[in-house]
Amino acid sequence: MIFSSFKRASLTAVLSASVLIVLAACGSNSSPTAQKTVDPYTGKLVYWFWAESDVPGSTAWMQAAIKRYEALHPAISIQLVPQGSDTLQGAFETTAQSKSGPDIAMQWATLPVLTPVWRGQVASLKGLVSSTEMANWLNTSENVSNGEVWAMPLYLLGQPFVWNKALFQQAGLDPNKGPSTWAEFLADCAKLKAAGITPITMGDKDGFFGSWFQGTVGTQNLNSVKDLQDLYAGTAKFTDPKYSGYLTLLAELKNKGYINSDVSSIDLTQGWQTFAQGKGAMTWTTDGNVASWIKAGMGSKLGVQSVPKVGTGTLSTFYTATQSISAFVTSWSTQKEAAGAFLTWIHQPENLTSWYNATKAFPADKRFDSKLITDPIMKQLYALDTLPNQLWAENYAPPQVDSQGLQVAGQAILSGSSTPTQAAAAVQRVIDQWRTQQPADWKNYKTWAGL
Amino acid sequence: MLLNSKLSSRRRPERWPYLFIVPMLVTLALIFFYPLVTVIRDSFYGGSVGGLSYVGTANYVSLFHDPIFIHAFVNNLKLLLTVPVTTVIALAAALILFENIRGWRIYRVILFLPYIIPATVVGLSFSYLLQGNGILNTMLRKLGLNFAVFDWIGSTSISIYSIGAVIIWAQLGFGVVVLTASLLSLPNEVSEAAVVDGATRWQKHRYVIIPQIRETIQFLMVLEAITALAWVFPYVYTLTKGGPANSSMVMDLYIWQYGFGLGAIGLAAAAAVYLLLLSSILIFIYSRLRRKQTSS
Repeated sequence: MIFSSFKRASLTAVLSASVLIVLAACGSNSSPTAQKTVDPYTGKLVYWFWAESDVPGSTAWMQAAIKRYEALHPAISIQLVPQGSDTLQGAFETTAQSKSGPDIAMQWATLPVLTPVWRGQVASLKGLVSSTEMANWLNTSENVSNGEVWAMPLYLLGQPFVWNKALFQQAGLDPNKGPSTWAEFLADCAKLKAAGITPITMGDKDGFFGSWFQGTVGTQNLNSVKDLQDLYAGTAKFTDPKYSGYLTLLAELKNKGYINSDVSSIDLTQGWQTFAQGKGAMTWTTDGNVASWIKAGMGSKLGVQSVPKVGTGTLSTFYTATQSISAFVTSWSTQKEAAGAFLTWIHQPENLTSWYNATKAFPADKRFDSKLITDPIMKQLYALDTLPNQLWAENYAPPQVDSQGLQVAGQAILSGSSTPTQAAAAVQRVIDQWRTQQPADWKNYKTWAGL
Repeated sequence: MLLNSKLSSRRRPERWPYLFIVPMLVTLALIFFYPLVTVIRDSFYGGSVGGLSYVGTANYVSLFHDPIFIHAFVNNLKLLLTVPVTTVIALAAALILFENIRGWRIYRVILFLPYIIPATVVGLSFSYLLQGNGILNTMLRKLGLNFAVFDWIGSTSISIYSIGAVIIWAQLGFGVVVLTASLLSLPNEVSEAAVVDGATRWQKHRYVIIPQIRETIQFLMVLEAITALAWVFPYVYTLTKGGPANSSMVMDLYIWQYGFGLGAIGLAAAAAVYLLLLSSILIFIYSRLRRKQTSS
């Protein structure tokens, strides 16, 4: 009996001690004074990077920048993983489903960023980057939802309309004057074609040209961003000629033979390469590509401007520009502070200068010294990119509508398989499908748009 | 009592051998049954990851009314045409190699090479070859064969057939090797007897050799059919990305695009179930044919 009492007492003592130890451990974790201070310069970050298609040379610059950062902070390492254009959204969506992958990722501004935000895949920059730092960034409004900034701009991107002065001269056109109206544009195309020159060279195998044409030409009968938001929120129809009239213009260019015959079998980058080889007289491109063409010695042959005016809406006076790609911290990252510190460092003035010198793409930061821009064409592009009235319409399209609607419509017209009416109906069907298949995204879109 | 216990131990089935197959069953359950059950379950949900909601059979109904999915389904059926074409060409090549022509081993290696090249490399290479102003069309124009110049991967009407041709090129070698191996395993006496009886080369192949390798041909055709249904993603993605304008969309690309590209997990899962059913029908038909032949 004494022995069983001793056993009972011992067991009670052991159990009590265990409970006390557990409570002490829990208590120490919740005690504010015992919280671990996070060192933002320690750890390993994975950064999924995209910019090369916009800005040739950007990947090499970022790799060098990371090396400099790691030299400054030896306890941190950053792995840069370049992403492809056609897998940018898909790869992120795939990794987001497993809530693992990069600490920092990139998506194109507005809807491609905000859709992951609404799905809980992005961490707010509030608390990770100071508000005084963010105040220096340009175009942050493109990634605002619920009053918070969710992604960091890296550079400004415009979509200039570019022509080859030598080919213009060859066709008897004024090499220093690009078409300012649609009628002039068609007349120039006719003259170039008569001279045996391909008027427009683009690539549309990947579908981006269709979205770009919608963004630069298709929005010219709209009056504000709200018109675009009404379309996707469901209070307007794409079949309204105000929205879909551009498909008729695209069909006209195609049917008159003004666009390169292989447009449907080469992608956007290959189309630009064809332009750079002098095989086409006009193209839509990005600042970064213009910069690389200037670097390759084509500067004297290039003319740049905004797209010829065809519409009568307020947006016809807007230039197509954006911050393009935006970097954000993923919600599952265990190194959020480190990611925020790195993004802050990227925007320091010495890095802005280094970025511009290496790539000639304009940093999206007020602290960038524009006196560094010496080339007259690049000065012209910077002036366009910093215009107060600018819009990149594609950013407002939900990713599903962009890829399955706008891009497919462009491909259907350029391949000759659909009429503009049929293509417009197909886009509206995709918009309706998106609202049905992604009701949460649609609801968030309406809330964000104030509808 | 001892005798009774001995008798009962003989009647009691041995259970411990089953323990040896438990690891295999667990692996099978993890890599086959669990994903299968998850896909079927997900097919009844809508929305994206993080916001899934039960929608019943709405995804299945939606696919019936989705012209892109219907078109993808039809394209997969069109790609089934590659099966008889690949089989006939592979059989012809195997029969020629079986004649022990000089250097037949080298020819067999050359024919097999495309099969071991990764599909993405094949697709990327052919995407340059088949562009509107690509190598093929440039050569055709130089030879004055302008009538044969087409936008092989940029035309909505022929892009799927161009993909089919690339698949035939890539898969042919596998068929040749399988059929050649089957031919080499045949006893010579039967063929020799046919020759002695006066059979021509064509008659020997048609009535003696081919019937003996019929099961191999059927097996090859089923494998090729499954490839055409569910393993063409790398070719389509690298050549056309399902374009232009979804004209070369196929079911596995559709599933990837909606499931991984756009996050519509439920819709993609429903499409995957349809694909599974289609493949199952083919396998069922094959099993019935085999059973008929075995019983006859």
